[in-house]
Amino acid sequence: MTIAAQDFEARVLDYIGGQMPQADNLGLEDVSRIAVGWSHETWLFDLTWTEGGTPRRQGLCLRRDPGNALLRHMSSLEEQFRVLQCLDGTALPTPKPYWFESDPEILGAPFLVMEKVAGQCPSPWGREGRAFYAEAAARGVLPQSFTEALATLHTLDWRAAGLDFLGVPASGADFVRREIAKWEDLIAVSGHAPEPILTDLVAWLKANVPDSSRIALVHGAYRTGNLLIDDDRVSAVLDWELQVLGDPMYDVAYVLSDLNREGTSLLSNLVERDAFFRDYEALTGSTIDEEVCRYYNALYAMRSVAFWMSAAGLYASGQSNDLRLARTAWSVPVVLERAARELGY
Amino acid sequence: MQEHDLLHRIATLLKKELGPAIEAEYPKTQAFMASVVLQKLAGQLAHAERDRDLGNKDLTALIAELKTYPEYLSDTALRSATDAVADAADDAALCTLIDTLYAQRAALGEERFGCWMGRVRQTLRAAIDRRMEYAA
Repeated sequence: MTIAAQDFEARVLDYIGGQMPQADNLGLEDVSRIAVGWSHETWLFDLTWTEGGTPRRQGLCLRRDPGNALLRHMSSLEEQFRVLQCLDGTALPTPKPYWFESDPEILGAPFLVMEKVAGQCPSPWGREGRAFYAEAAARGVLPQSFTEALATLHTLDWRAAGLDFLGVPASGADFVRREIAKWEDLIAVSGHAPEPILTDLVAWLKANVPDSSRIALVHGAYRTGNLLIDDDRVSAVLDWELQVLGDPMYDVAYVLSDLNREGTSLLSNLVERDAFFRDYEALTGSTIDEEVCRYYNALYAMRSVAFWMSAAGLYASGQSNDLRLARTAWSVPVVLERAARELGY
Repeated sequence: MQEHDLLHRIATLLKKELGPAIEAEYPKTQAFMASVVLQKLAGQLAHAERDRDLGNKDLTALIAELKTYPEYLSDTALRSATDAVADAADDAALCTLIDTLYAQRAALGEERFGCWMGRVRQTLRAAIDRRMEYAA
């Protein structure tokens, strides 16, 4: 459902008014829709109101599920909301969640409203973003904060936080098998033609599953671009779409991957490799297993193929008219070529 | 004018003239993305005939060599999967052959598995290198 901008704001105000019966004179200011990510539509605005005669203001972020998210049936704003609720009050910096609404009648699709945290989130893929992270790397504060936030995530007591609803894998190969099955499922629904290198990759992954005995909350896409930065510190870990309970090396492998840096040896365009190893191991008390990380890199190649096949399929089937998705049809061979190199050919 | 030349010209027009003239962020991005898509498509079309011919040639050479391997005669699953590639000459059959190889890995032993997979991967590498000429 398409809703005109003015009507959209009126509906948002009406909804929030229903959630805040104590508030009077509700208003929205500085409303902007931001172009981020592939899955959800995002708006930022300031909510103003009076309460007991006192004027109030709160920055908010609204995310709406357009119904044609890259992750298809795996995309769940409700799960994101629950994860943020669980993380609220923990040592991990995350936006405070306020409301989740599943009724599509209100804004045309389910949505959530959370705190607009202070900070910026430069894209690491653009020239300006790369310059931002290069300057921050030189100052040396943000790189440590990047590693500290990851260590906080991986040492979080996920059971105490109530995150076991995400599904607790058994010790051993269960976590990896679940991940492989998840991405196989997405590939299957994408409607993409068979790809022999992908068949080789998946068979190789299944034949070489590492054991993982440690279970942590894994973000699934921990990198610059998914972190809000304020005053050289990570002010919020964002994009809770791929989180899972599993081997923390899965996140570490993502940090180590050269997929997430461009024109620099700095991990995620920000952190010196040696400093990352030193700080992460000291903060978590865990040793980084590079061999397991290499395996997870191959698993990320499979995941990337699944993403791009899903995206290209959404365009091909007419579920989306976004040409960024059409373009991903040519990203599939690029990732497959990378996968072939991971497998040694 | 050939189709790929036409697409290439439209892509250039979108990138250099039409895209920059659009002010709104979303349509502007879409115009540039349309240019990228057309460029990729132009490359794919330009190489289509050559890629089809080289692909068929590679597949014929692959099958001819696999048929000389002793396991082609001794392992019925592998023979059947290899013959299916020869008959269908498509990626689906190649995927089945790869799955069969992994399923027969223990029976083949690491050395012979490596020999079969190595030869199949040689064909896969050549095919992906051709696709990378326009996809990258």
